[in-house]
Amino acid sequence: MINFSRVKGILLQELFITRKSLEIFFDIPFFAFTSILLVGFIASYISGSIGQIGAQYLVLGMILWECLRVTQYTMSVNVLWEVWSRNLSNIFISPITIFEYFLALILSTIIKILVLNVFLSIISFYMFDFNVLKVGIATLSLVLINLLIFGWTTGILILGLIFRFGTRIQSLAWGIIFLFQPFTAALYPVTILPKPIQTFAFFFPPTYVFEVARQSLSNQSINWSYINTAFILNIIYFSISIFVFAHLFKKSKDTGQFARNEG
Amino acid sequence: MKNILEVRNLVKHYGKFTAVDGISFDVPKGKVIGFLGPNGAGKTTTIQVLLGITLANGGSVNYFGKDFFKNRSYCLQRINFTSSFNNLQGRTSVFENLLVYSYLYNVKNPRKKIKELIEYFEITSLINKRYYDLSSGQKTRVNIIKSLLNDPELILMDEPTASLDPDIADKVLTLIENLRKSKGISILYTSHDMEEVARICDEVIFLDKGKIIAKDTPLGLTKRISNAQLNVTFDADKNVVEKYLKTENLKYKFQTKNTVVIDSKENLIPKLIFSLSKEGIWMTDIEIKKPTLEDFFLQIARKKI
Repeated sequence: MINFSRVKGILLQELFITRKSLEIFFDIPFFAFTSILLVGFIASYISGSIGQIGAQYLVLGMILWECLRVTQYTMSVNVLWEVWSRNLSNIFISPITIFEYFLALILSTIIKILVLNVFLSIISFYMFDFNVLKVGIATLSLVLINLLIFGWTTGILILGLIFRFGTRIQSLAWGIIFLFQPFTAALYPVTILPKPIQTFAFFFPPTYVFEVARQSLSNQSINWSYINTAFILNIIYFSISIFVFAHLFKKSKDTGQFARNEG
Repeated sequence: MKNILEVRNLVKHYGKFTAVDGISFDVPKGKVIGFLGPNGAGKTTTIQVLLGITLANGGSVNYFGKDFFKNRSYCLQRINFTSSFNNLQGRTSVFENLLVYSYLYNVKNPRKKIKELIEYFEITSLINKRYYDLSSGQKTRVNIIKSLLNDPELILMDEPTASLDPDIADKVLTLIENLRKSKGISILYTSHDMEEVARICDEVIFLDKGKIIAKDTPLGLTKRISNAQLNVTFDADKNVVEKYLKTENLKYKFQTKNTVVIDSKENLIPKLIFSLSKEGIWMTDIEIKKPTLEDFFLQIARKKI
């Protein structure tokens, strides 16, 4: 049975750390802010050649990409704060279950994505005359849910790798999501990718939802086929990530790496 | 007596290395059990298994009569842990840390509980300080407060006084003694400081190479060492004293020309003193050094027992 007091404990811990960490300020709102500015200015600059809709694709793509990046970052980095403070054991010798820990992280990502989306939408509206709601609230919700699930999937996998191999692979917590950026076509239509890479790109749920968002922006319709495919792939990958995490977590406790993570 | 913790045939391997080799022991209610052994004896691994952060390869761990491996959250809710090797979250304040752990342990009325404990441990002035900025002694006290938030029936303490100066270490030990008296908490206590173990533990479990090699009261363990040392300062010719000691085939070492340290069975010391006196050796000072828990520890570490 879920104990919400313990979930609240992890959420509070994250709130307290976030308030006192300049790194998180730079990693989340600051980096998102500079990214949207950069892409927005590039979009303004080249809108003459790619047209207004092309420029809007870029800004929309960056807003959605930031939501994916921050979701994965939140899922993976939280545990590193505890490792760096040598507080990881204390957390996991409390009665909290791994499910409650994940639930807290998932709630944290949802709160952050909602706040971040509003923040970036306001910037794009006032600075680049682009209203993200033009894609429609239904589309936006479906797209964000899918991006959240994919962010949880990659975040949980990295979390498992950190438990299993320790801080030597900690840079994956920031870096791995960028591996998907060129292939999932966040900032451009997937059709501009070479054919073999397009096939590869369609293995990833974000590719579908970025396409859906752009299509909705152009013609106000929802590509249900793509949304459904994204959901199915997300469920498959999320299930695999839980299975892999469980294996890595068990292995980490079996080899003693979990306790050694604090150095 | 009711046991809070029962460990049976616990085994932990790391590859071909056996860190814990089939150990069994109990922690009865209200008792302080010392858990000692040289480095690499298996103490830390055992504690990690008892806390669920390392998996055992065999055996059972029961808290309050329930299988820990099947009732993890239930058991962890009723025990706690403190160590000088773990910290709390360094970036956040003492109060924030304690509040987080209050929620993790589902403490009712957490602010009141925190207030009570910080007053008891006299750290009210530190409550808004960042944990990173505390001294070792202050961190130890905060760690102990964290370990008391859930009113545990058992606390596992892993060298809680390591890296503390003697004054602060003494205060921490007094706090532990008071806690035990006032709340009847059971404690499993590891330390390398034999004096503090002798001071606070009711029973000591000695581990070596993953096995329990002795289990007794601190006094009982020291009695296993029959040798004591007699330190004699004399006003006589050194050669006369040496000649006598050689005749009696005793082990000795002169520290100065008038002081000698003689190894002897504890029960033979009165006879030795009498004999020295009979030889006309005028003794101006006599000091008997009885074996301590530290001697027992050293003999185990040096494989003499």
